Amino acid sequence: MFTKKQRRINWILVAVLLILSIFFLFPVIWMLANSFKPDAAITADMNSIAAFIPPAPGGNFFDNYVSIITDTNFLRYMANTLLYAAILIVLSVVVNGLAGYALAKIRFPFRDQWLMLIVMLLIVPTETVITIHFLIIAKAGLLNTIVGYILPLIVNPFNIFLFRQVFVSLPDDVYEAAQLDYCGPVKYFFTMVLPMSKTVVATVSVFTFLNVWNDYLWPSLVFTSSDLLTAQIGLNSITSNENTTMGQTLAVITLVTIPVIIIYSLFSKQIVEGVTSTGSKEG
Amino acid sequence: MSFIEFKNVCKMYPGSKVNTVDNFNLNIEEKEFIAFVGPSGCGKSTTLRMIAGFEEITGGELYIDGKKVNDVAPRDRGIAMVFQNYALYPHMTVEKNIGYGLKNMKMPAAEIKKKVDWAIQILGLEEYRNRKPKNLSGGQRQRVALGRAIVKNQKLFLMDEPLSNLDAKLRVSMRTEISKLHRELGATTIYVTHDQVEAMTMADRIVIMKDGVIQQVGRPMELYDHPVNQFVAGFIGSPQMNFFDVTVEGSTVRFADGGHLILSGETVEKLRGHNGEMTLGIRGEDIKIVGHGEEKDKADRQTAVITDTEVMGNENNLYFTFGKSQAVARVSKYEIAQIGDQISFEFIPSKIHFFDKDTGVNYMEQ
Amino acid sequence: MKRKNSIMGMAFFGPALVLLTLFLFLPMLLTLGFSFTDYFALNPELTHFVGLENYINIFKDDLFVQSFLNTVKFVIIIVPLQCGGALLLALAINRAAHCKKYFKVAFFVPVVMSLAVVSTLWMQIYSPEGILNTLLAHIGIDTQPFIHSAGQALPSIAIMSVWQGVGYQMIIFLGGLQNINPALYEAAEMDHASAWQKFKDITLPELKPLCIFVFITVTIGAFRMLVQPMVMTGGGPDHSTYTIVYDIYETGTVNWEMGLASTMAIVFTIFVVILTIIQNTLTKDKEGRKHVHKKAKTD
Repeated sequence: MFTKKQRRINWILVAVLLILSIFFLFPVIWMLANSFKPDAAITADMNSIAAFIPPAPGGNFFDNYVSIITDTNFLRYMANTLLYAAILIVLSVVVNGLAGYALAKIRFPFRDQWLMLIVMLLIVPTETVITIHFLIIAKAGLLNTIVGYILPLIVNPFNIFLFRQVFVSLPDDVYEAAQLDYCGPVKYFFTMVLPMSKTVVATVSVFTFLNVWNDYLWPSLVFTSSDLLTAQIGLNSITSNENTTMGQTLAVITLVTIPVIIIYSLFSKQIVEGVTSTGSKEG
Repeated sequence: MSFIEFKNVCKMYPGSKVNTVDNFNLNIEEKEFIAFVGPSGCGKSTTLRMIAGFEEITGGELYIDGKKVNDVAPRDRGIAMVFQNYALYPHMTVEKNIGYGLKNMKMPAAEIKKKVDWAIQILGLEEYRNRKPKNLSGGQRQRVALGRAIVKNQKLFLMDEPLSNLDAKLRVSMRTEISKLHRELGATTIYVTHDQVEAMTMADRIVIMKDGVIQQVGRPMELYDHPVNQFVAGFIGSPQMNFFDVTVEGSTVRFADGGHLILSGETVEKLRGHNGEMTLGIRGEDIKIVGHGEEKDKADRQTAVITDTEVMGNENNLYFTFGKSQAVARVSKYEIAQIGDQISFEFIPSKIHFFDKDTGVNYMEQ
Repeated sequence: MKRKNSIMGMAFFGPALVLLTLFLFLPMLLTLGFSFTDYFALNPELTHFVGLENYINIFKDDLFVQSFLNTVKFVIIIVPLQCGGALLLALAINRAAHCKKYFKVAFFVPVVMSLAVVSTLWMQIYSPEGILNTLLAHIGIDTQPFIHSAGQALPSIAIMSVWQGVGYQMIIFLGGLQNINPALYEAAEMDHASAWQKFKDITLPELKPLCIFVFITVTIGAFRMLVQPMVMTGGGPDHSTYTIVYDIYETGTVNWEMGLASTMAIVFTIFVVILTIIQNTLTKDKEGRKHVHKKAKTD
């Protein structure tokens, strides 16, 4: 298949990429390795290759993690975020999915105009409206409430558009068959459309999760009460505390990253598909 | 009152200025097997979908079982339907697909199981009951679609080109299967197809349509032997009926290349004085080969040179040019002829049709 | 039937429409409206219409001008590094016959990490006694202040952003490379094209719309720079990492000067919209051809 020259180029390429990837990943490796060390060891190891090697598992291997979990509310923040993500995934899929379905399959007045408007909305950056969101939520007395945090995040023109693009190619005859099987439109949406479109539902769910989990600005505006904080905001409040050690800081950010890595390894296909689809839509 | 009555039913799509289905009038009796047949775009599927309730009826009235259904929702019309692309629920197993409607009708689980088992057994789907549609072949999917229709005990079956996605061999066997099901269940069936063979072999009566207008309604052989116009004559039967441009003067028929034919008294009588330019139609099997080589002794005997042959196995099709038109004769497999052979033949007098040059009306069937 | 469709359509679209109105249409209108007023959220009764005054004032405001220039600097550093880096990585990985999967994951890992995590992590890495300075010391480079100096803070944050973001565009490019019809390369091979010619005459033209897309999205992304300086430097030192969005955010939600914040948001949005329109017009003529190409592949 390959000529000799091509094979040589390939090996050089792989070697360069391997070295590059190690350099590239050094912050992550360093983070993981040192999250298990006391600060003294982190400083001491800094000058040698040991900086990138975790300590031998032993008595105080998990000390940083234990102190984070017992001394701070961090687990609570993680649980909060998981709850918000779960609520938002359900609401995103239902609200954006229903809208996408209407735009794809139901001939209602001004449908095409609505669709055009949604496509135009894709351009508007969230930063434009986030201060107004804050104003609205503040005026409604919803600061420091879950509802106030969640409401502006439910609807998302991009998700509506994504759902619409997938639903538009669903066959109409299945809907007709379902009608003859006494299945009404709402039931059809939930028991047929969503299961038939598992991929897009998964993509939207995964991206909703990542957005909620990684979002910083909006939760930092809405939540000031420590009971409701999300992991990212909690992380910031913990790490900016002067008593937090470097090892603890690294343990916190590792903890925040673990769920994302789990999601990524489970759904890497959907993530890559989602990322590529943003590109291919424009290309 | 008939089971189904169409009264001047029309369909006009928004933005269109012509009726896709125009003044459709038809009565269908209970237990009948009716085929709607015609070329694509003739309005047959639209008509079926109006019966189902998936297309709005924009003019006229439709009655099912004595009840006007123009504004009745599809689910309340008492129909079951088999779709061209099967329309199976992709995430449900065969069993679930078939039982889904019953479940929604809130039928007790035990009864659903009994019915589904019955359908699965009738359709020979036992081995596949737990498979999902994507793991089934086209024929199996079609069976599931049939199963889904028959379990519901509806009095009216609608089938929209159900066999068009199957390969030729499977189509033939499914044809017999559907006919058998119809005999056993006795439900009124309306079957849409563009394939005249399906219509001919399965239907009690055929409705043949063109441009949204019914051309002729009748039993298969009626349409075959007594087409009311040139369109029906050409659409039914394969190979197609032969058509020749001719001029008729009294009992003499002149072909475009100067040849002529003397009509029998009986035929002239049937023509009832129609004269001048018209189209002569005759089916391939009604061209009788009477000999090979030049034989110009008889006035009604014609000759031609074979340009092509089609060996079908059970019979042969001989192609030749006659009267400046392409023509085909269907002969038995024992009549062997080669390209370039000269044949002489006769048109069987009682089988000749004459069509109006402009309207296509069959003068012989008036 | 028509009426039924209208009812059903609105029932399905309604929930989204209500939320869209509340959290997109209304905010956009309010932003536009506020931008012509001196709306002060803590004392809304005193609001006056000030016409275009805000639009003139923000460009006289040293801090906004600086944040604007900082943002431009971010764009100038990030865009070529991230676009070029992503393209090179994608080309290399696409070509590599081994470890493809590993490379894709390795370079994508930072993308899934949050801005707050990455920022916190790099604060440690950039610290004067941190691992980066230790490593640099090994190759004889003096301790650098990185995010603690007005001169280095911005490029340090920019580099970190490229590190975090490059994997995203790499995946997009990889997708684009895999979409190129292999028959094109086979045909070129028959025409004795060299590797460079194949790259220049097939890969680049085929990737051009994607390149434009990536270029614009990275530009917009860099334009939106906020969380990294917020977490790492608080916009400092000496406002050297203060950005437009940071200014919008602080003016609006800390100082409650919604009028001014809205004006900045409008100016910011206009830039983003212009960029998007440029991208759309540049890539539009490619679309027809692309469709044909995709169809040909599925047949």
